[in-house]
Amino acid sequence: MLRTNLTILLIVIGTLAVYTGVANMIPQVASEVPEETTIGADVTPDELAAIGEELYVGAGGCTACHGLGTRAPDLVGVSGTTCATRREGVGCKEYLYESLTEPGVFVIDGFQPIMPDMRRILSEAQIWALVAFLQNQGGEITVTAADIPPEGAGGAAAAAGGTGGTGGATSPGIDTAVTDPVELLRASTCLACHQLGEEGVALGPSFDEMAGRQEAEYIRRSILLPNADTAGGFEAVAGTMPMNFGDQLSAAQLEAIVRFLAGDR
Amino acid sequence: MLRAAAGAAGLLLLALEPGLAQEVMAEAPPYGDFPLVGARGAVWIAAQVHLMFAAFVLGVPMFAVVVEAIGIFGGDDRYDKLAKEFTRLLVVAYSATAIWGAILVFVLATLYPRFWAYLTTIFAPSMWVYAGLFFLESFTLYLYYYGWDRWKKGFSKQVHLGLGVALNVWGTIVMFIANSWLTFMMSPPGDLAADTAPQTVRLWSAIANATWMPINIHRLIANVVFGGAVVGAYAAYRFLASRTDEERAHYDWMGYVGNFIAIGALIVLPFAGYWLGREIYEFNQQMGITMMGGFMSWLWIIQAFLIGVLFLTGNYYLWVGMGRIPGAERFMPYIKWMLLVLVIGTIVWATPHTMIANRQEIAAMGGTHHPFLGVLGVMSAKNTAVNLMILTTFLSFLLYRRANKQPVVSWAKAGTMMQGAAFVLSAGIVLFYGIYGYFVTAIVRIGFSVYQVLAVLVCIFFVIGLDVFMMRGATSRGAIRWGQMPARSQYALFILAVTFTWLMGLMGFARSGIRQHWHVFEVIRDTSPQAFTPALGPAATMISICVLIFFALVGFIFWLGGLAEKPAASPVGVSASSEMDLRAGAEPAHYVRPEE
Amino acid sequence: MSRESSYLRHPFWQALAVLVGSYLLFKFGIGYLLPAIGVHSAPVPSSVLLQYMLTVVVALLLYVSTSEDRWTRFKEPLRQVLVDPDKRVLRVALLVALPLLVGFLTYGRVRADVGAPPSLRSIHPAPPNQITFRGEPISLTGLENPLREHGSFEEHLAAGSTVYVQNCMPCHGDRLDGEGPATHALNPVPANFTDNGTISQLTESYVFWRIAKGGPGLPVEGAPWNSAMPAWEDLLTADEIWAVTLFIYERSGSTPRTWEESNEGEGH
Repeated sequence: MLRTNLTILLIVIGTLAVYTGVANMIPQVASEVPEETTIGADVTPDELAAIGEELYVGAGGCTACHGLGTRAPDLVGVSGTTCATRREGVGCKEYLYESLTEPGVFVIDGFQPIMPDMRRILSEAQIWALVAFLQNQGGEITVTAADIPPEGAGGAAAAAGGTGGTGGATSPGIDTAVTDPVELLRASTCLACHQLGEEGVALGPSFDEMAGRQEAEYIRRSILLPNADTAGGFEAVAGTMPMNFGDQLSAAQLEAIVRFLAGDR
Repeated sequence: MLRAAAGAAGLLLLALEPGLAQEVMAEAPPYGDFPLVGARGAVWIAAQVHLMFAAFVLGVPMFAVVVEAIGIFGGDDRYDKLAKEFTRLLVVAYSATAIWGAILVFVLATLYPRFWAYLTTIFAPSMWVYAGLFFLESFTLYLYYYGWDRWKKGFSKQVHLGLGVALNVWGTIVMFIANSWLTFMMSPPGDLAADTAPQTVRLWSAIANATWMPINIHRLIANVVFGGAVVGAYAAYRFLASRTDEERAHYDWMGYVGNFIAIGALIVLPFAGYWLGREIYEFNQQMGITMMGGFMSWLWIIQAFLIGVLFLTGNYYLWVGMGRIPGAERFMPYIKWMLLVLVIGTIVWATPHTMIANRQEIAAMGGTHHPFLGVLGVMSAKNTAVNLMILTTFLSFLLYRRANKQPVVSWAKAGTMMQGAAFVLSAGIVLFYGIYGYFVTAIVRIGFSVYQVLAVLVCIFFVIGLDVFMMRGATSRGAIRWGQMPARSQYALFILAVTFTWLMGLMGFARSGIRQHWHVFEVIRDTSPQAFTPALGPAATMISICVLIFFALVGFIFWLGGLAEKPAASPVGVSASSEMDLRAGAEPAHYVRPEE
Repeated sequence: MSRESSYLRHPFWQALAVLVGSYLLFKFGIGYLLPAIGVHSAPVPSSVLLQYMLTVVVALLLYVSTSEDRWTRFKEPLRQVLVDPDKRVLRVALLVALPLLVGFLTYGRVRADVGAPPSLRSIHPAPPNQITFRGEPISLTGLENPLREHGSFEEHLAAGSTVYVQNCMPCHGDRLDGEGPATHALNPVPANFTDNGTISQLTESYVFWRIAKGGPGLPVEGAPWNSAMPAWEDLLTADEIWAVTLFIYERSGSTPRTWEESNEGEGH
C-alpha cells in the first residue's frame, strides 16, 4: 500500500509539475497597472476637474470649512456661477485662482479671513485642477493645459494625491525650516478651527485648554489620525479635520507642536 | 480597531523614522498585509481552495440523487449503496468547505477592509440569506445522510429522495448568491460610477448583472464534472487499496461511473463557456479582447493542452476498460484511428496563433505567424478540432457500451449503418463550416460555431436514441469483469482529477484576471501594491499550490472514508467474511487479479 | 516469418517508427517539403516542434498500453536491454550514450549565443478604450470610420490612395501585400493587408489606433521596442488616417470587423 500511495503522490506532483513547468516556460507577460493620471500637456478639462474633485474632498482638506455652513461659503454646485461676479474686472478663472493662492485679497461679506494659501500644500498643477473643479460647479471649465506652468512641480505632478503611497511625496508640504510651534500652528491652518489665545476660531477643541489635560501621545494621535478619538462635545464636527497633516509636517515639526500643545511652553 | 492599531504602530515608529511615519499616518490603510504570500496570495489561496471544496459538495449531491433515483426506480441495490457512499464523502467535505469559507471571509475582511466594507454595504441582505440557506443546506445534508438506513422502504424512501432534491435546491441557490458577488466585481451594472455611494445601489441590479446567469450555468455544469472526477479519484484510491475482489469490483465500477459523469458533463461545458464569453464581449469589448487576445491569450493554449490531456486520458480509461468486456476485441482495431483523431485535434487546438520563436525563426516565418500552421491558429480550426474530439469521445463511449451486447432486433444492421451515417454527416458539417469559416467575416464566423455545435449535439442525441431501441432485449456476450482492470487505468483517473482541478484554477484565474487592476471593473480601482495581474508562470505556481492543498485535504478525507468502513466490514469476523464470499461467489463474473 | 517482418509487427519498433516519422514530417515535411511543392510554408519553430513531439510521445505511450498484451510486448525490448546477459555491449553503450545525449541537449539549451531570446509578441494586442489623438480624447469603443457616413466615397478613396503612396508604400508595398522595397530590411516584417489574418480580423477603429500610435504606442505584450511603424498622428490628420484606412480595406478587398453589440446601430 505504501508503494501505491507513493505512486499516487508521484503522479499528482508530477502532473502539477508538468503544468506549472509549461506555464513557466512560455515568455511571461503580466498586466501592469497603468500609471496614475498625470497632469500632462494633453489633459482634458474634464480630467482636470475630476482630479480637482479628488483634491477637494481629499488632500486639499477643503471640506474642513467649505460646506459646513457658517465658516466658509458653500462651493459645491454654485461656485461655477458666482465666481465671475464676485470681484469687478476679475474673470471667473482668475478669481478662483486668486482665492486659492491669495485668499486675503477678497473675503466675502460675513466670513472671516481664515483661508490659508493653498500653495503651501498643493502644487501649481493641483491648484489649477481645483480651479477646474470649482468652475465645473455650475459653470463652464475654461482652464486648459496651457494655464498650468510646465515646470510646476515637474509638470506632470502625480495628481490624485491623498491616495497615499507613491503620490504623497510630491505635495510640497510646509516649509521644513520652520520649527516654531506657534508659527507652525498658523501656517498649517490649525487656527482655522482651533483657538490659541486671541487667534483662531472655536470650531474644534481650544488649544489653550489642552495643555496639562491631554497626554502627548493622545495629541500626536489626534493630529495624525484625527478620527481615532473625538473629544467630548465635538461629535457634531467629527471627521472634518483633514487627515493629511502627517504628509505635510516633518517629524521634528510634529514633535514641536505636540510638545507645545501638551504644555511644554 | 484596525485603525487604532495601525496608528499605535505609527506612533511607535515616529521618533525613529520621519518618512515612514508620514507614510503610516496618511490615512488608515485600505489594505492589510499577510506574511509570506501577501494579501492577494492569501485571498487567492483561501478563495480557490474554498471554491474547489464548494464545487465538490455542490456537484456530488446532484448525481448522488440521480444515482439514488436510478436505484429506486431501477430496483438495483448497487446504485443505492453507491449513492450513500458519495454522500458519506460529502459530510466531511462539507465541513472543509465551511472552514475554508470562513478563512476566506476573515482574510478578505482583514486584508481588504475598505473594499470588504463596500461589498458588504451593497450585498448585506443577500449575505444574511446566504447564511440562512447554508444552515438549511447543512441540516438537510445531515438528515439525508444519517436517515439513509432508517428511511429505506416505500414512501419514506421517496421522502428521503425528496431530501436529496432539497439539498440540491439549497446548494444551487447558495451558489447563485455567491456568484452574484463575484460577477458584480466583473460586470457591475452600467449606471454604477466610482463615486456612487454603495448604500444607494439597488441590490437586485447588483445581483442580476450581465455575467451572473452565464457563470451560474457554467459553474453548475462544471461542478458536476468536478464532482465526477473527484469521485473517480476516490474510487481509484479505494480500488488500489482493495484487498478483496469484491471491493475491487465495486470501486472499479464506481470509478467508471465517476469518469462517465465527468466526461459526459464536460462535453456540454464548452457551450456554457461560449455563452459566458459572449456575454463578456457584450458587456465590455475591451474585456473580451483582453481575455482572448491580450496578455491572457497564452492561457488558452495552456487550456487547450489541459483539455487535450483530459480527452486523451478519459478515452484511454475507456479503452483500457474494454479489456474487461467480453466482445470488445472486435472494436479494438478502431482505437488507433480514434487516437489519431484525438492527437490531430490536440495538435490543432494547441497550435498557437502567435508562436514563440527566436529571431532567426521569426525571420524565416516572416513574422510570428507561421505561413502554413498559422491557419490552425484561428478560431475556425480550433472549433473544428474540439468538435471532432467530442464526437470521437462519444464514439468511444458508444463502442464501450455496445462491447458486450449483441442486438437482436431485425434492423440492427441498418441501424448501425444509420448511426455511422450520422457520425459521418456530423463530422462533415463540422469540417465544412470549419473550412468555410476562413472565407467569411468574423461576425459570420462566430455564428458558424453554433452550427458545428448543433451538428454534434444532434448526432449525439440521434445516435443515443437509436441505440436505446436497437439494444432492446440485446443478448449479452458475457458480463463485464468488474475489478479486472490494470492499475495504470486507475492512475489515469488521478490524472483526470488533478487536471480538472488545475483547469478549474486556471479558468478561475482567467475570469478573475480580466478585471486587471480593478476591484469592481472600471468602478473601484485596486490601489494595493498587488494590483497588477501576474503572468501565467506565477499564476500557475499559485494554482498548483491550491491544488496541492486541496488534494492533501481530500486525501485525508478519502482515508477517513476507508476508516469509517472498517469496523463495519468485520464486526464478528467469520460470519461477515463468509457472507462476503457468498456474495462474491454469486456474481457471474470471475475476478482475476490485475497484472502488475 | 522473416526477421524484418517481426520487427515491423512489434509494438516497440512500430512506436519508434511513428515517432521518427512524425518528427521528420514536422521538421522537414512542413518546413521544406511543402515549399518544394509550391505551398507557402516555413520551418516550424522549435517550441512548437517540441510541443507536437510531446503530444505524439504521450499518444504513443497511451496506445501501446491500452491492451495488456501489447503493453507487455512493448516493454520486452527495454527489459532485454536492461537484463539480458547477451545484450551487455548494447546496454553499456546506451548507458554511456544516453547521459551524453542529455548533456549535449542541456548544453544546447543553456549555451550563450548572440541571438535574442525568444519573445512572445502579440500581433494584435488589446486596444485601449480611449486614446488621446493630438490632445483630443477619442473613444475607440464602438467607433466607426466617419468617412463611410458622409462625403463622397470616391474622393475619400482617392485621398487615402495619395496618403498611402506617400507614406505607407515603401514598407507595406504597392500591392498592399507587405512587400515594399524596404520590407526586407525590417524584422518583424510589415503587415500584409491582403492576408485575411490581418486587417479583416480588426475593426476600423483598431486600425486607426495602430496607425495613429504606431509601434511606440503598442502595449507591452506587443513589444513596442520591436516595431518600425512610426506614430503617424504627428504627421497625418485624423481625416487622412481614416481615408487611408478606407483605402487599405477597399484595395485589399477585405471588410472590417464590425462591432458586436450591433442590435440598434448596425448600419452597414
